[in-house]
Amino acid sequence: MPYNYIINYPVWELDFLGGGFLIAFIAVIHVYVAHFAVGGGLFLVLTEMKGYRENSFGILEYTRKHTRFFLLVSMVFGAITGVGIWFTISLLNPAATSILIHNFVFGFATEWVFFLGEIVALFVYYYTFGKMNRRQHLAVGWLYFVFGWLSLFVINGIVTFMLTPGEWLSTKSFWDGFFNPSFWPSLFFRTFMAFMLAGLFGFITSSVIKENDLRNKIQSYCARWLIIPFIFLIASASWYINSLPEPQKLMILQSSPEIPPFIKAFLFLSPLIFAGGVLMAVRISSPLKIIVTSSLVVMGLLYMGSFEWIREAGRRPYVIYGDIYSNSIPVKEIDFIRNNGILKNSRWAMNKEIDDKNQLMAGKEIFMFMCISCHSVGGPVNDIRKAAKKYSLYGMESMLTGMGKINEYMPPFPGSGKEVKALAAYIVKELNGRKDEIPSEHSIPSLKTKTFPFDPSKDQYVLLGWTGQGMHSILDNNRFFGLSNPGTTIYAQLIKRGKSPEIVTANIELTYRIEDGFDTPSSQTDFWKHSKALYGRQIKENEGLSGNKTEGKMDYDENIMAYSAADIPVVPYRKDGAYIPFPVIYIEAKDVQYGRILCSTGISVPASTEMGCRKCHGGNWAKNGVTGLSDETALDIVRAHDRSNRTDLEKLAQAGNPQMCSKCHSEDQASPDTSAKHLNLSASIHGFHANYISKNDPDPCSNCHPSSGFSKSYRGIHSNVGLECSNCHGKMEDHALSLLVYEKNKGVKSAEKLMKHLYPRLADSVTQIEPRKPWANQPDCLNCHIGFNPPDTDQSPQNMWTRDTKSLYKMRSDEAGIMCPACHGITHAEYPATNIFGDERANFQPLMYQKNRYPIGANKNCSICHTVDMKEEIHHPNMLTIFRNFN
Amino acid sequence: MNTASLIPAPDIIPVHWAWFKVLLITTFTAHILLMNIMLGSAIIAFISAINRQSESSLISLEKEISQKNTFIIAFTINFGVAPLLFLQVLYGNFFYTSSILMAVYWLSVIFLLITAYYAAYIYKFNFDRLALNRKYAAGLSALLLLVTAFFFTNNMTLMLVPGSWVRYFANPSGTILNLSEPTFFPRFFHFVIASIAVSGLFTAITWQRKKKNGVSHSDINITRGMKYFIYATIVQFCVGIWFLISLPRDIMLLFLGREMVHSAVFLAGLFAGITALVFGFIKKVWPAAWATIISIIFMVLVRDMVRTAYLKPYFAVEKLKTIYQYSPMIMFLVATIVSTVVIIYIIRCALQVKPS
Repeated sequence: MPYNYIINYPVWELDFLGGGFLIAFIAVIHVYVAHFAVGGGLFLVLTEMKGYRENSFGILEYTRKHTRFFLLVSMVFGAITGVGIWFTISLLNPAATSILIHNFVFGFATEWVFFLGEIVALFVYYYTFGKMNRRQHLAVGWLYFVFGWLSLFVINGIVTFMLTPGEWLSTKSFWDGFFNPSFWPSLFFRTFMAFMLAGLFGFITSSVIKENDLRNKIQSYCARWLIIPFIFLIASASWYINSLPEPQKLMILQSSPEIPPFIKAFLFLSPLIFAGGVLMAVRISSPLKIIVTSSLVVMGLLYMGSFEWIREAGRRPYVIYGDIYSNSIPVKEIDFIRNNGILKNSRWAMNKEIDDKNQLMAGKEIFMFMCISCHSVGGPVNDIRKAAKKYSLYGMESMLTGMGKINEYMPPFPGSGKEVKALAAYIVKELNGRKDEIPSEHSIPSLKTKTFPFDPSKDQYVLLGWTGQGMHSILDNNRFFGLSNPGTTIYAQLIKRGKSPEIVTANIELTYRIEDGFDTPSSQTDFWKHSKALYGRQIKENEGLSGNKTEGKMDYDENIMAYSAADIPVVPYRKDGAYIPFPVIYIEAKDVQYGRILCSTGISVPASTEMGCRKCHGGNWAKNGVTGLSDETALDIVRAHDRSNRTDLEKLAQAGNPQMCSKCHSEDQASPDTSAKHLNLSASIHGFHANYISKNDPDPCSNCHPSSGFSKSYRGIHSNVGLECSNCHGKMEDHALSLLVYEKNKGVKSAEKLMKHLYPRLADSVTQIEPRKPWANQPDCLNCHIGFNPPDTDQSPQNMWTRDTKSLYKMRSDEAGIMCPACHGITHAEYPATNIFGDERANFQPLMYQKNRYPIGANKNCSICHTVDMKEEIHHPNMLTIFRNFN
Repeated sequence: MNTASLIPAPDIIPVHWAWFKVLLITTFTAHILLMNIMLGSAIIAFISAINRQSESSLISLEKEISQKNTFIIAFTINFGVAPLLFLQVLYGNFFYTSSILMAVYWLSVIFLLITAYYAAYIYKFNFDRLALNRKYAAGLSALLLLVTAFFFTNNMTLMLVPGSWVRYFANPSGTILNLSEPTFFPRFFHFVIASIAVSGLFTAITWQRKKKNGVSHSDINITRGMKYFIYATIVQFCVGIWFLISLPRDIMLLFLGREMVHSAVFLAGLFAGITALVFGFIKKVWPAAWATIISIIFMVLVRDMVRTAYLKPYFAVEKLKTIYQYSPMIMFLVATIVSTVVIIYIIRCALQVKPS
C-alpha cells in the first residue's frame, strides 16, 4: 500500500518537559505582560493628562518612570516571549501552527506592522517625555495605545479562532475564522483585563514613590484602574462563556476533568483581586501596601493563567476546534488512520510494522506521535507515569480503546489493535516498569465438606436445593461505595419418592444453616458498618437485608411450589480469613408433626469478591493476594465517577457516607414523561465499560466478573465444553447496546452518549437491537436447546431473551412442577460442573443422590425419584437419553 | 530510508507565491541590515571596551553604541518576525522540521535574546557606573547575539538538507547541529563579518552626523568606523569565496556562468561590494553605504537562489497549492500604509524635539 502520510512532522522528545509545560510557561508569562502593555498604553496617556490637568510634576515624573519600567517589561520581555510562543508552538505542534500561519498569514503580518508602530511610538513617548510639546506627546501616547490595542484586536481573532472556528470549518474563509463566534466577547474581556492589569502594575511602580501623599494618590488612582474595569471584566466573562457553542461550553462547564480547579481559582481570585484593589484605594500602611501589591501581582498572574488554561482546555480534544486534534491528527483523517494505522501514516516513524521484537520501540514512537503533545514523562504537566500508574497492561489497552469516546477531552486513539498493544506495553512496562502479572499461586485451603448418605433402596425423600445466583459478586469494601449486598437467596424442593413422586409442600419445615466458619459474616466485611449509609437503615450484624441470618427457616412459595430463604448473608471468607468463594449451605427437611428429619443436603453458594476493577482502576487485591477490593481501587472508581460526572462521591465517602450505586442507577426509574435521569446500573456499567473494552478481547466479561480467575464462577457444563459468555449473552457491544436501548426508549438521555461509539457485532445496526431489561430479559436455554434437543449452534440467536423474571431459567418449572435448577443446577454451574474447591461444591446433589456429576435423573436414572425406570418424558422432551458430554 | 519521504506536505497558501517571495526578501533585507548593525555594534563595543587604553574617543564610541543598540535590537527583532513569518508560509514544511531537530537550541534563542537585550539595557542605563565592567555587559550581549546567529545559521542550513534529517532517528532530543554541512561555518562567518563591516559603516555615518554638530572625537571615530568597514569587507571577500566554493558544485556553478540570471545577480552583488570597498578606501561614507546596501540586496537575492537550488530536488514554491483569498492581504497592505504614515508622523514629532 502506498503510504498516505498524514502525520507529517518529527516529534521533539521532551519527556520531562512534555505535555505543554513549555507553552504554558511561556504563554502565561507573555499574556500577562502583553495585556499589561495594551492597558498600560491607555494608563500612560491618561495619567500624563492627569498630571497636566492637576499641574503636578510628581504625577508626570511618576508617569515617566512608569514608562521606563513599561519599556523594559513590555518591550523586551513581552515582545520576545511573544516570539517565544510562536517558536514553541511550532516545535510542539507544527501541523497546527502551519494551519494557523497559512490561514492567517496576513493577520499575523498586520499585527507585526502594528507592533512596529508600538515600538516606534513607545520609544518616542519615553525618550521625548518632558521634551516634546504636550499636545504632540499626548498624541504619540494615544497612538501607542491604539497600536497596542490593534495588536490585541488582531491576535484576538486568531486565538479565539482556535476555540471557536465557526463557519471557517466549512468555508475556510479568513474572515469567517477571524470574526468567529467568540471574537467580540473575548476582545472585550481581554481589553478590560488589560486595563485592570495596567492598574495592577501601576501599584508596583507607585510603591517606590517616596512622597507619601503622592504615593497614596497614585495608588488610589491605580486602584480605580483595577476596580472599575474589573466589574466589566466579570460581565464580559459571562458574555464570553455564553457566546460559546454548546460543545465548548459543555466541555468547560461539565465535561473536562482538568478545568474545574481553574474555574475555582478564577472564581476564588475574583473577589480577592477586587478586595486587593479596594485595600490599595484606602489609606493603609506602606508595608502593608507592598504586601498587597506583591499578592496582587501573583494573583493577577494566576488569574490570567487560570483564564488562559480554561480557554485552552475548553477546546479539548482539539487544538483547532473541530479541525485538528491536540495531537496533530486532522479530524477528517481520523478514520483513515484508524483503518490503516498510525505508524504507516507517519513520515517520521521508523517502525512501520510491529512485531514482538520491536513492540516497545514502536510503542515509544506511537507515544511520541500521539501523546507527548499533552503528556510529559515524569514532568509537571499531565505526567503519563502518574496518569497511567494504575493501569495494568489490560487496563491501559482498555483506556486507549475507549479514549475520546465518552470523555471527549482526549482525542480518540486511532491506532490499530497492534498499535494499542504496543503503546500500552510501552507505557505500562517501559515507562512504569510494571511486570506482567503472574497468576496467583494462592493455595486452596483445606476443606471438609459435610456430605449426607443416600440409600436409594431405603430413603424416602429427595431434597433438591439450589442458589438463585450461579455467579454472585459482592463488595467486601463498602467504605467508598456500595454495589450489592452480601445476600444470597436459596431455593429447595422436597420430593417424596415413589412410582408417582410428589412435591411435598405441607407439614414439613425446611431449615438452612451455613457451614461452620461462615456464620459471622459481619466480622469479614464492612457492609454492616456502612449499611445505614448505603440502605438508609442499620442492618443488624450477621443479618441479611431480609432479616435472615446464616441459619434459619425457609418459607414456602406457592407460586413456584418451592421453599426459599432470601438474602442470607454469605461472604466468601471463613473465620480464619481463608478465601472460599463457594461456602455450603446445608438444608434440612423435617416432619413438622414428629420432628423427624426427612432429608438433608447441601448447596454450594457462590459469593465472590474477585472483581477485576483493579485492572483499570489500580490498586492491589485486598485479601490474600487473590481477591478483595482495596481502598485504592475503590477510591479510584469514585474519583473517576466524580471526575466524569461532577459528583462528590469521594467527599461523601470520606465523610462516612458512602453511596449505593443503585441509589441513582436504580432499575425501576421514573417513566419517560417524568424525570428519568440516570441509567440503570446494568446499562450504565456495561454501557460505559463496553466503550473501553477492546473488541479484540475474546473474553471481555471475565475482566470484571469473577467468571474466571481464582473464583471461576463460570464452572458448569457450558464452560467445560468451551462455550464463552458471549455464546449465550451476546457480544459485549450488543449486550451493552440492548440495555442502553431499553433506557433510551425510557427517555434516559445519557444512554445516547454511551451508545455513540458502540457498534453492534452480531446485528447490522442499532435499530436491530431489541431493548433489554436487566435481570428480566436474559438468555433463554431453549433458544439453543430448541425443544430440549441438542443445539445446532453454539451462538444464542440475537434479541431472544426471556420475557420477564418469571420466565427466567431459575424460576421455571417442568410439566410436573419441578424447577429447572433443581435437577440441572443453577446457571453458570449446570451439572456436571467443576470446582477447584472440591467436587462436592460443584455437584453436591448429583454426587449425593447418584454418585455421579450429571443432572438429577440423567442417563435414564428416573428411579432416583420414581424408584423405577420410566419410559415417558414427563418432565421435558428428550430427557430419556444418555448424557452427551461426559467428562 | 527515502529522504524525500521525510519532507512534510506543505499547506495551501492564500495568494500567489510571488507575493510572499517579495515580502520575504524585502523584510529579510531590512532585518539583515539591522541585524548587521546590532551584532557588529555589539562586537565593536566589546572590542572597544577591552581596549585598556581608556581612550576617551573609544569611550565616546562605546557610549554612542550603548545608547543606540537597544533601539537597534528592538527593530532587528521586529523586522526578524516578518521574514520568519513569510518563510514559514513558503518553506514551513522544511523550516518546522529543522527547528524540531534542533529544538533545544532553537528555543534557547528566546532566552538568549532576552538576556542579550537586558544586557544591552544594563550597558546603556549604567554606562558610566559600570566603568571598567562595561566589557562584561558589552561582551555578554555580543556573545549571546553571536550564539543566536550560530543557531540561526544552523536552522537555515539544516532546513535545506533533508539528507541530514535522518540523524533525528539517532537523536530525537532536539540537539542536532548541522556542523558537517560544508557551508555552515563560511555562512556563519559571512554574516558575522558582514555585521562588523556594516556596523563600522554605521559608526562612520553616525559620527559624520555628530561631526556636523561639532561633537568631539568625530573624526577619529569616523576613521575607526571606516577601518572596521574596510578590513571586515576585505576579510568578507575571502570568506565569501570560501562560502562559494563550499557550496555543492552544481549550485556553485549556477553563479559562475551556468545560469545567466544567477551569475548576473551574484556579479552585481560582488561589484557593488567592490565599489563599496573602493568608496571606503577614499572615505566616501555615504556612497560606501549605498553601495553596501545594494550589495546586500543582491546578496540576499543570491541567498534566496541558493535556497531554491538546494531544495530543487524536493520542492519548488511554484508548486504550492493556492486557494486565493486576496482580501486579507489588502487589509495588511492598508494597515502597512496607514501605519507607515502614522509612524512617519511620530518620527517627525520626535525630530522636532530639540536635543537637551
